[in-house]
Amino acid sequence: MTMTDDPRTESPTHPATSAVEGPAGTPPPRALTGPALWLTTYDHKVVGRLYLALSLVFLLVGSAAGGVLGVERIDSGLQLVVGDAFARLHTLHGEVTVLLFLVPFFLGLATYLVPLQIGASDIAFPRGSATALWSYVVGGIMLLGAYAADGGLASGTTVGTDLYLLSLAVLAVSTCLALVSILTTAVTLRSPGMTMLRTPLFTWSMVVGGGLTLLATPVLLARLIELYIHHHFGADLASLDAADQLNWFWSIPQVYLLAVPAAGVAAEVVPVFTRSRLRRNSVGIAALGALGLLGFGAWAQVDPYADDLLYVIAGLAAVVPALALLGVLGDTVRRGRFVRKAPLLLALGGLVHLFLGTLAGAVQVIPGLELGGTVWAAAQVHYTLFGGAVLGAYAALWYWAPKIWGVHLGEGAGMAAFVLTFWGVVLLALPDLVSGLFSDRLLGASRFDDEALTVVLNVASAAGGALAALGVLVVVGNLLARVARKGGTRALADPWEGSTLEWATSSPPPPGNFTGEVPPVTSAWPVADQRAQERAVAPTDDPEVAEVRP
Amino acid sequence: MTTPGTAGSVLPALPPAPEVGRRNVLLVGAIFVIAAGTALFGGLLAGYFSARDISRAAGEAWPPDDVILPNVPLFVAYLTLLMSSFTAQWSISAVNGRDRRSMYVAIGLTLVLGLAFVNAMSFSWTAIGVAAESSRFATTMYAVTITHLLVVIAAIVALVVVGFRALGGQFSPEDRELVVAATAFWHFSVAAGLVIWYCIWFLEGGP
Repeated sequence: MTMTDDPRTESPTHPATSAVEGPAGTPPPRALTGPALWLTTYDHKVVGRLYLALSLVFLLVGSAAGGVLGVERIDSGLQLVVGDAFARLHTLHGEVTVLLFLVPFFLGLATYLVPLQIGASDIAFPRGSATALWSYVVGGIMLLGAYAADGGLASGTTVGTDLYLLSLAVLAVSTCLALVSILTTAVTLRSPGMTMLRTPLFTWSMVVGGGLTLLATPVLLARLIELYIHHHFGADLASLDAADQLNWFWSIPQVYLLAVPAAGVAAEVVPVFTRSRLRRNSVGIAALGALGLLGFGAWAQVDPYADDLLYVIAGLAAVVPALALLGVLGDTVRRGRFVRKAPLLLALGGLVHLFLGTLAGAVQVIPGLELGGTVWAAAQVHYTLFGGAVLGAYAALWYWAPKIWGVHLGEGAGMAAFVLTFWGVVLLALPDLVSGLFSDRLLGASRFDDEALTVVLNVASAAGGALAALGVLVVVGNLLARVARKGGTRALADPWEGSTLEWATSSPPPPGNFTGEVPPVTSAWPVADQRAQERAVAPTDDPEVAEVRP
Repeated sequence: MTTPGTAGSVLPALPPAPEVGRRNVLLVGAIFVIAAGTALFGGLLAGYFSARDISRAAGEAWPPDDVILPNVPLFVAYLTLLMSSFTAQWSISAVNGRDRRSMYVAIGLTLVLGLAFVNAMSFSWTAIGVAAESSRFATTMYAVTITHLLVVIAAIVALVVVGFRALGGQFSPEDRELVVAATAFWHFSVAAGLVIWYCIWFLEGGP
C-alpha cells in the first residue's frame, strides 16, 4: 500500500493517549476523542489544530469589537460606547486581534507544520507546546474577563486592571513557551541534508520572526511585571504612561515582526501555484531576515524614541525587504504559469498590503509630519496586520487545510475571502490615511469632528471594516462547513504538487508524521526534486505528469 | 495546473522512516530560554534605570533617604549564589568522570546553596522593610528581585528533577544532556543575580 492510499487517515493522538493493545485477552482501551483528547494530548498536530481553531474564535471577537468601533466613529449619534468604554474597546480590539488571533494563529500553524516541513517525527517539546496552548486559552479567557470587569489601560476597577495585566503576562509567557519549542525543533530536528539555507521559507520565517519575538516578548513581560506591581499597590496606570509601555508591541517597527510569518507563507505558496521556483532562494531568506531584524521594536517603547534616528531609519528601511520580497515573488510569477487559485491570490494580496503598510510606515516615521498617534498609525497597522498578516493567514489556511484537516476549503469561499478582505482593508485604511494626514485626528478619541468630509471618510472606513468582517465570517463559516462537518474534497498527500517535506506524507499525517522514508534533502525543494526524478525515470504520455519544473 | 488529488500526488511505497536523531534538543531549548530570560532582565533593568533617571531628574533621592540597604546580608546572599555555580559545574564534571557519589553531593550542595539564597533574599527584603508602593525605587527593585527569585526557584526545580533522575540511575558521559541544560540554566540565574547585585545593590548602597 502506498502512503497515500488512505488520504482521510485521521492523525491519532500521541501514543500516550491513543488506543494500544491491551493485555492478552482484553480489548484495547478506547481511543480518546473530542474534549478528552484535546485536554490530554501532546501530539503537535492536535495542539496545532486547537491553536488554529481557538485563534479563529478570538478573531471573531476582535472583529466584532472593530465593527463597533467603526460604527461609533461614523458619528451617527448611536453612542454605542462612550467615554472610557471607547478607549477600552479600542485596546481590546488591538490586543485580541494581535495577542489572541495573529500570534497564536502562526504559533499553531508552526506547531503543526514546522516538524513536518523539516522531516521530524515530532516537535521538540510536545508537553511544552501543549502547556503553551492551554496557558494561551487561560490567558485569553482572563483578558476577556478583565475587560468584562472594567479592566484595561483606561481607568477601570482595580481588580479588573490587575487581571488585565496578569492576563497579558500569561499570554506573553505562553508565547515564549510555544516559541522555544518551535525554534528548538527547527534548529535541532532537521532531516539530514537540510541546512538552514534549505529550510522551507515558512519555517525560516518562524525562525526569524519567532526568534526575534522570543527576544521582544520578555521585554513586554518586564513592563507588565513593573506595571502590575505599581498598579497593585495603588498607582494609577495613566500616570505611568502605561499605554506607551505596551502599545509598542503592535506599532512600528514591531508590527513588521508580526507579519514575517505571513510573508513566509506567501514565499511558500507563490512558487507552488506558479509552477516555478524562486530564482534565488537566498534572496527570499535574506528578505525575510531583514524584515524581521528591522521589525524588532523592543527598544522603541517610549516617546523620545519617536524622533530617534534609529527609529526613522528602521521605519524607512523596512520598505526595502518588503519590496525585495514582492520583487522576487513577482519574478517567480512572471517566469511561471499564473494559476488563479485562492491560496495564490490571498498570498499575493497579503504581500501587496504588507508592502503598502511598510510604505505608510515609512511616511509615518518622518518627524516633520507628526503622524504618530493619529489615525494614520491605525491605517498603517491595518495595512500591515489585517491586510498583510491576516490575508497571509487565510492563504495558509487554504494552502495547508488539506494537510492539516484532510479536506480542501472551498475555492469560491477563498476567492470571496480574498475580495472582501483585500478591498475591505483598502477601504478601511485609505480614509484613515487621508484623515491622519489632513485633520490630525488622534487615535482612541471617542468623538471626531463633524465636518462633512470627515464623516464621509469615517463611513467609508466603517464600510471597509464591515467588508473585512464579512471576510472573517466567510472564512470561519467555510472552515466549519468543510472541517467540522468533514465536507468538501478529500485531500491526497500532495494535492498542489508542493515542494517541501510536509507534502511527502499523507493528509493528515499519521502518528510519527512519516510512514515512508523522508525524501533525501539536496535542495530547498526536496519533494519537487523527488517528483522530477521519478518522472525522469518513468516517462509517461500524460503531459501533466510529464511536466518537469525548471 | 493539476486539479487537487490528481496525477502526481501518489508517491511510491517506501520503508518506514528512521527516527531523526535528537541533537542536543534540551541544551538548545535551554539556550533559547536563557536568551528570553536575558531579554526579560534587560527589560526589567531598563525599567529600573529609567525610573531612577526620572526620580533623580525630579530631585528625589535614589534610593529614598529612609531606605537603608542591608549590604552585608545582601553580599552574603549573592556570594552564596555565586558559589552554587561552582557546585553546579562540579555535577557535570562528576557525570563526565562517572563519579555518582560526587554527582549526588554536587547536586545536593547546589540545591542547598540555592535555597540559602532564597532564604537570604527573604531576610534582606524584611531588613529593607519598605513597602512596594512607597517609592519608584521600591517598586522597580521588587519587580527585578522578585522576578530573579522566581527564576532561581525555577532553576532549583529543574535541578531537583535532575537529582531525582540521578538517584534513579540516569546520566553518564554519553547521556548528560539534561544535566548540562539544567546547569546552563543555573549559571544563567547566577549571572543574572550578579548583574542585579551590581546594578541595584552595589551601585546604590555599596562602599
